[in-house]
Amino acid sequence: MRINTSRFGRIDIDAGDVIRFPSGLPGLEDCREWALLADSSNEALGWLQCTTRPEVAVAVVSPRRFVPDYQVRIPRSELTPLALSDIRQAQVVVVVGKTATGLTLNLKAPIVINLEARTGRQVVASGDLPMQYELSHGRPSLRKSA
Amino acid sequence: MLVLSRQRDESIMIGDTIVVTIVDIRGDKVRLGINAPSEIPVHRQEVYEAIQRENMRAARLEPGDTEAIGRFGNRSGRPDDSGKR
Repeated sequence: MRINTSRFGRIDIDAGDVIRFPSGLPGLEDCREWALLADSSNEALGWLQCTTRPEVAVAVVSPRRFVPDYQVRIPRSELTPLALSDIRQAQVVVVVGKTATGLTLNLKAPIVINLEARTGRQVVASGDLPMQYELSHGRPSLRKSA
Repeated sequence: MLVLSRQRDESIMIGDTIVVTIVDIRGDKVRLGINAPSEIPVHRQEVYEAIQRENMRAARLEPGDTEAIGRFGNRSGRPDDSGKR
């Protein structure tokens, strides 16, 4: 399929590469079909492009690359709709945001993808995690030492 | 809004697939049990709304906004689909 995206111009995607999000994303509930693209200049970055709305895309990264001690605890009820029995079968990415101070990661609501089944869902992780974790040059740790 | 009174252990049915049960009442806090099909997400409203707002903000980013990400993080872990472009 061919999409005229607003950010990346015209792209071609195999129907088999499309990832189905049965519930869309909160705030983008009508976007049920997405493609995961690599950023052309930054290999740490991916873009989830909505295949039905060319202007809709979110930047995503693998969280542990930026937050090494990030461990996502997801209730089983959140994994079942993805036909996953174990979080380790999934690919987990987090959405990149931006505030006045800089780039942030949404660690509270990661996106879980079952690559084999081509399904995905944004889930709410347990625990006190930030929705806007600030990326900074300091040591990236979720726990502050006493 | 439909307002119903329920006591502990009583339930409410929403549609024909969702059941909400009062599990416990303690002071001003109510514990609710929710039985729903797995494809229907269930969330505390304020958390869901916060995620909505954050997603809508994130959806405004352009590649130019994310250039700085190269300055952070370590060397491993491509987020994309097993090396495909």
